[in-house]
Formats: sequence, C-alpha cells, structure tokens
Amino acid sequence: MSDHNPNAPSHLKHYFHDVNQQYETSKFAMWAFILTEVLTFAGLFVAYIVYRSWYPDMFVDAHKLLDVNKGLTNTVVLITSSLTMALAIWAIQKNNKKLSVLMLVATFVFALAFLGIKYLEYSHKFEVGQLPGLYYSYMGPDAAHLNNPHIFFSIYFIMTGLHGLHVAIGMGLIAWLIYSTQKGNLTSEYYTPMEMIGIFWHLVDLIWIYLFPLFYLIG
Amino acid sequence: MSEHHITPLRTYLIIASLLLFLSAVTVWVSYVDLGPLNIVVAMLVATVKASLVAFFFMHLLWDDKKNLTMFLMSLMFFGIFVTITLLDTEFRGDLGLNPEVKNPINNRASFYDTLPLTDTHGHPVDEHSDDHHEDKEHH
Repeated sequence: MSDHNPNAPSHLKHYFHDVNQQYETSKFAMWAFILTEVLTFAGLFVAYIVYRSWYPDMFVDAHKLLDVNKGLTNTVVLITSSLTMALAIWAIQKNNKKLSVLMLVATFVFALAFLGIKYLEYSHKFEVGQLPGLYYSYMGPDAAHLNNPHIFFSIYFIMTGLHGLHVAIGMGLIAWLIYSTQKGNLTSEYYTPMEMIGIFWHLVDLIWIYLFPLFYLIG
Repeated sequence: MSEHHITPLRTYLIIASLLLFLSAVTVWVSYVDLGPLNIVVAMLVATVKASLVAFFFMHLLWDDKKNLTMFLMSLMFFGIFVTITLLDTEFRGDLGLNPEVKNPINNRASFYDTLPLTDTHGHPVDEHSDDHHEDKEHH
C-alpha cells in the first residue's frame, strides 16, 4: 500500500496491508522454519533413542567420560545468553537503543564462551581418542571394557556438533543485529529481525536443554 | 508496532532464575539413584524448562495461537517418527526365525581387538609393566 499512502513506514512492503500483518506473517514463517529445525534434530534424537535402547549399559558407562562441570557451565552460559537476548528485544521495544546493543553484545560474548568451552571439551576428546566411529582409539582403564563406545561418541559429536554450528550461525546473526541496531535501523517501530533471530536463538537454547541431560546426566 | 505485547522485565528475570534453578535440580537428581525413573525425571525437568523457554522467551504465550500450533505439530511429527521407528527396532527378531536378528550388533566391533590399551591421556601403555614404558620414550 506504500505506493498509495505516502505516510506508510518505509519498512512496509507494498504487498502487505499494514505493518502488523507484515510482522505476523514474518513470525509465522519463522515458526515454519523452527518446525523444520526441530525435524532436523528429530532424526538425530531418534538415532540416540534407538541406539540407547540397544546399548543401555554402554551409554551409561560411556557418558562418564564426559565432563559434567563443563556441560553444566555451558547450560548456565546458554540460559543466561537466552535471557540477555530476550532483554535486548525488551529494550528495543522500549526504544532503549543503548541497552539493546549492550544486551546483544552480552549475548554474543556468552555464545563465544559456549563455543570456547565446547572447544576445550572437543580438543580433550581429540587428544585422548574418544572419537566417532573408526577414529575411536581410547582404551583407558575406565573404558577398555566398554562395548562399542565409538557409537556413543558418533552420536555425541554429530548432535553437539550440529548444535554448535547453530550457535556459530547465531553469533553471525547477532553480530549483524548489533550493527543494525547501532546504526539505528531497528527501533521500537520495526524490530522484526531481532524478534526472529531471538526465536532462533531460544531454539538453540531449547535443544541444548535436552542435549545436556541426555549426554551428561545419564542415570 | 507499539501494540505488541511487551513482557515485563520481572517476568524475564523470574523465568531465567527458574531455568537456572531447574538446571541445578536436574544435575542433583542425576546423582540420586532412582533406577529407570532417572531418565523420566530428567526428561520431565527438561520439558518444563523447554516449555518455559518456548512460552515466555519465545513469546508463544502471548502470540497468535497459530504459531504454537506450528510448534506443537513439529513435536507431533517427532512423536510419530519415534513411535514408528521403535516399532521396528524394538521388536526385531521376535518371531525367533533367526536369533541373530534379535541382537544385531551386540558383538564388539572388530577394530577394538587391534587397539592398544591406553592410560587416561590416551597414550598406549605396556600391559605388563611400567618400566618398559620409560624405555620406549627414549627411542
């Protein structure tokens, strides 16, 4: 309608009736994307469930090779980053640009911390040979008796790896949000990208909420 | 856009505290031996946490319900996926025609036989004594 209405905001596409319809449409599309994300991870969760039901004892023994403290630290880091992301949206809704940028930077830093801790975990596993499939070579005193732990580590690396990739992509998106908000492109009138990336970021948190107990806290 | 629901700051802080508290609870419970109930409790706590994130952080509580429907549909598809897969994998070999089908992969993979024993740092150790280990280092 912007062709006909000179008062229409510049971000309103001409094929939408009004800004609210545009916003609701974007959000619904975002949730359709979230559905495909859930289904992507669903396949991996099914693999986890099937193999755990085939190897219940091996999963319990192999999970003891993971570091619960690092896993819990990452859980706290990711929940806090979800909070700062939500607060960034809250701040921009209140038109507080400075606070919004600050919260986005905090989210970015927490995401970086998450990947840093993940790097420490991965590098330790590479060093000792707790690796997927044929690359597995760890036969330490706490693992020599295990029946096929390489399967546990295949699933561990694929699931946490795909999740880590999402964190990395999220960091790129958040960096772009910091730039756009700082430049003044996002305001309380138009903050759709921040709301959408926020939903994506919370999904990353939501998946980790399941990965943490499934890998680090098995009975 | 000013007509959008703005969640109060207090709500966000309460939800984040609850999430951190529940994370502590789930770690604590994992050290209590409840037998097969451990996984049930862990998944229940995770689902409560996931619901808090979805309804409050992702704003599903105040959104148009079509978004919640979309999300629940993804979980429903996941349920169908799990159920139908397990109907296969859990009941393989139940007819008893071929006993090997029942436990298809219970044998240890053969490459384990070629792996040397290691210490906790992943370095190979001599099976008989530690003295030889020292010699090897000098070669």
